[in-house]
Amino acid sequence: MSLLHVDDVTMQFGGLTAVNKVDFRVERGQIFSVIGPNGAGKTTVFNAITGVYEPTEGIILIDGRPGMRPVTPRTILGIALVGVLTAAGFTIALNLESMWNAAISANYIYKQPFAWGKAIGDALGHLRSAPATLTLLPAIAGLLIGVAGATSVWRRSRRSPDVVARQGVARTFQNPRVFHQMTVLENVLVGMDTKLRTRFWHAACRLGFKHEHCSSVEKAMAMLRFVELEDEAGAAASCLSYGHQRRLEIARALASEPKLLLLDEPAAGMNPSESVDLMELIRKIRDRGIAVVLIEHHMNLVMGVSDRIAVLDYGNKIAEGTPDEIQACPKVRKAYLGTDLD
Amino acid sequence: MSNTEVLLQQLIIGLSNGMIIALIALGYTMVYGIVELINFAHGDLFMLGAFLALTVVGALGLDAIPEPALLSWGFIPLLIIVPLFCATLNWSIDRLAYRPLRDAPRLAPLVSAIGVSFVLINIGLFWGGLRMDVFNGGVAAASPKDFPWIVSSANLLGPDSNIILTWNELLVFAITVPLMIGLSVLVKFTRLGKAMRAVAQNPTAARLMGIDVDRVIGATFLIGGALAGAAAVVYSSYNHTIYFQMGFRVGMDAFTAAVLGGIGNLPGALVGGLVIGVIRAMSDQYIATEWTNVVVFAILIVVLTFRPSGILGATVREKV
Amino acid sequence: MPAGGIRRILVLRAGWILLAIALVLPVFDSFLPREFQFAGLMRPIFILAILGLGLNVVTGYTGLLNLGLAAFMAIGAYSYGILTCDIYPYQLSFWTALPLTICIGATAGIVLGLPTIRLRGDYLAIVTLGLGEIMQDTLKNLDGITQGTQGINPLPAPRLFNYQFSPENWIPWYYLLLAILAVVVLFCRNLEHSRVGRSWIAIREDEIAATCMGINPVKVKLLAFSVGAELAAMSGGLWAAYLGSTGEPGNYDFQISIIALCMVIIGGMGNISGVLLGAVVMIGFNSILLVKVTTILAQKGLIDTQNVITVPSNWKYMVFGFALILTMRFKPEGLLPSRQIKAELHEMDEDRRALKKKAGTK
Repeated sequence: MSLLHVDDVTMQFGGLTAVNKVDFRVERGQIFSVIGPNGAGKTTVFNAITGVYEPTEGIILIDGRPGMRPVTPRTILGIALVGVLTAAGFTIALNLESMWNAAISANYIYKQPFAWGKAIGDALGHLRSAPATLTLLPAIAGLLIGVAGATSVWRRSRRSPDVVARQGVARTFQNPRVFHQMTVLENVLVGMDTKLRTRFWHAACRLGFKHEHCSSVEKAMAMLRFVELEDEAGAAASCLSYGHQRRLEIARALASEPKLLLLDEPAAGMNPSESVDLMELIRKIRDRGIAVVLIEHHMNLVMGVSDRIAVLDYGNKIAEGTPDEIQACPKVRKAYLGTDLD
Repeated sequence: MSNTEVLLQQLIIGLSNGMIIALIALGYTMVYGIVELINFAHGDLFMLGAFLALTVVGALGLDAIPEPALLSWGFIPLLIIVPLFCATLNWSIDRLAYRPLRDAPRLAPLVSAIGVSFVLINIGLFWGGLRMDVFNGGVAAASPKDFPWIVSSANLLGPDSNIILTWNELLVFAITVPLMIGLSVLVKFTRLGKAMRAVAQNPTAARLMGIDVDRVIGATFLIGGALAGAAAVVYSSYNHTIYFQMGFRVGMDAFTAAVLGGIGNLPGALVGGLVIGVIRAMSDQYIATEWTNVVVFAILIVVLTFRPSGILGATVREKV
Repeated sequence: MPAGGIRRILVLRAGWILLAIALVLPVFDSFLPREFQFAGLMRPIFILAILGLGLNVVTGYTGLLNLGLAAFMAIGAYSYGILTCDIYPYQLSFWTALPLTICIGATAGIVLGLPTIRLRGDYLAIVTLGLGEIMQDTLKNLDGITQGTQGINPLPAPRLFNYQFSPENWIPWYYLLLAILAVVVLFCRNLEHSRVGRSWIAIREDEIAATCMGINPVKVKLLAFSVGAELAAMSGGLWAAYLGSTGEPGNYDFQISIIALCMVIIGGMGNISGVLLGAVVMIGFNSILLVKVTTILAQKGLIDTQNVITVPSNWKYMVFGFALILTMRFKPEGLLPSRQIKAELHEMDEDRRALKKKAGTK
């Protein structure tokens, strides 16, 4: 089973087909490049893989699993619970004041002890004697609205990038999207979020917090060392240069310990020596056992580092193969240069 | 009064108020569509419009006419002065408070708009203390003011009819419907309308195409303000009470209407306005007046649960 | 550079400085002439600072604009009132009722947040604004339970060990509220520097990037919304305890939400010391300065109370409004610069210390 399956994926925006029946496979430990002229749909493919967009057609599997929240007994139970609670909420809301009167006002004498059992019995008795339009009707309406609402909300949030990320896919963006107001170190710590176990109350009261905090900071520093940014750890991310922001993004993505790393034009705006460094970095990432999918325009970098290359043009995949095969392919040359050189 | 008559009467009231709400909601929605800003001050602009209308009524002595003619000409000066004032004010607000923040994070102009809203509320409070007869001679600045009838209150369906339909209701439609038709013609067919749609879709691209984006935005604020002014005249002559916090209350309804219909969507504002107007009237009649706000809110929540972008709103995809 | 040093200390240690001032203030205050004494009026600052900190979690950290915080404050005040007042059968003490109030607030936050939290930012602002309005209506309409516009009173004052707090002696109240505020500040600070706070800020900074890092935006936002609601409910409960009455539902109106917003914005969004300073400035202005100036001027016969314009407290909205507009225009980061500046000063001390420790052990 390959790590990433992209099967006949089509993406349409309104009438425009940005990606048309694209398929490719990425194996473990492979460096796979997606190239093509501007507007060929490369970033759209990335967005479809990471769950930012939902493909109009086609299947994307990561390690054999679709990047969606699965339907589990817990989901069904949760929706049912929301339905029941809404039903109860509606009924109580409509009868709140009369129930209160029956249970509390009628039974409580100023500063006298209060019979709780009787009060609860009276409240339920009141509810039982109330007309069906005030009890059964809102309960049914609440159940329907609750279940339908919860289902609709759940379905809409089913395909979300965080689900894909938790399956072991990390990415960078064409324009670096670092968290500007955080420090470089904190940026990497955010990347580690899925691996951290600190719960809300532990964080709030600092219970059992120190240990994980120290180990995560240590790991984050190791990541920064890996991309050679450890000197900037305390600086605000917004102060970094463009190239450094790109490397920070890579460190942040690696911090989530992905199986698959998607890099969207990591060498954009870099000078030749920087892109040689980047090539080295990508190889090092691969050597850690992480598969890399790369969108890139720098042909030297792509040809030098890739194991396989797919070429997109106007949303269609026109070629796939090893760097040598791609370089020899006439269709690719035509797409890039507009005319067939031969 | 039979059940059908009650229903019809409430429908008339609901639709009339709904049209007014829609007119205000249009101002919210236009501004949102073009600069993605909820113009909090819009409701208070409407309130100041109503106060100006009352001032003009007092100054011209329109309230002194004992039994107004069928259709008083007094409306004409009101419908010129008040929209003009509101349009100018809205434009100046944009110029001073919002335009400098065009490139700031989304929250900044929104907070600024809340600030403007508070300043306008305070001006409304002071305005209510004006020493004019129509303002009770300036005592109790904060209390509601009566807005006199300036058109005939005679029932058009004859004095025996149980359903009341006066010139007031007809005027609401006679003023709001042409304004809405005019607005959609403007947005659809004129050069300015095209420019507005272009800026709404992509300000940067519009600027590159040679559109003066700031002018188009300014024009949007002018039009939105004028609509709020017209709504203020219609509202006060229809509902007969104005107070300095009404911008918040009525603005809330208009907001809700814009959100319900799908903010940024002009037909949505109309649909939302009418829905809110009718729901309010029905809830006043069949549930209880004091629960009306709660009912409207509950319906808003339910609608947004199923359609997070409103009834007619399109889902937006963020560009990555 | 001594000037830079002072600024640095002010920025980094603002919280401690404020705490030190607050601790000695009553002593200092007792030396002032009677009509200028103000420390007793400081208590609303402490209570509303908690509200501001709640909004800071929702808006400052997470970037969700919640304009209906007053609704949760009202929920807190009324829950506290119903749980403690002797016209109801519950009659709990301050120390049991307050945690229950907080739990009720958090639950209310989750229940109201569930259907709305997925909405786009501006929609959420409208929905929360509406919530603030209908909460007042609801409380007014349920007068069989909430006593309508009379409010619930009298509420018992807290007891600590064998000491009974009383309205006459304000100093114990002052230190009680200060201590509670200090706990809340610590709570917020711990959260801010933990995984939870980081995910909030990441969502605010760039929601898509944060979700692509595996952060579930709905869970994170809901948590923030609920923490905000819980702090608001807490401040509501304390407010009711301090006044000995819930007051009428109309007290928890849009103005309260806006005052909280002003605190957060003017003080410095996402920065705890900033919010505290904002609370001092806003409440100090609203319920100390304006009130004092108005009474003093009226006593001296300098103003005509019949004329709206001459009464200083009528200028309140105008001042709030201009404060917001001008802050946004000229100093959008607020009075106390937030994390970003701190980061530039290279003082993420927390992480540094952790690092040094590691380096030392190696």
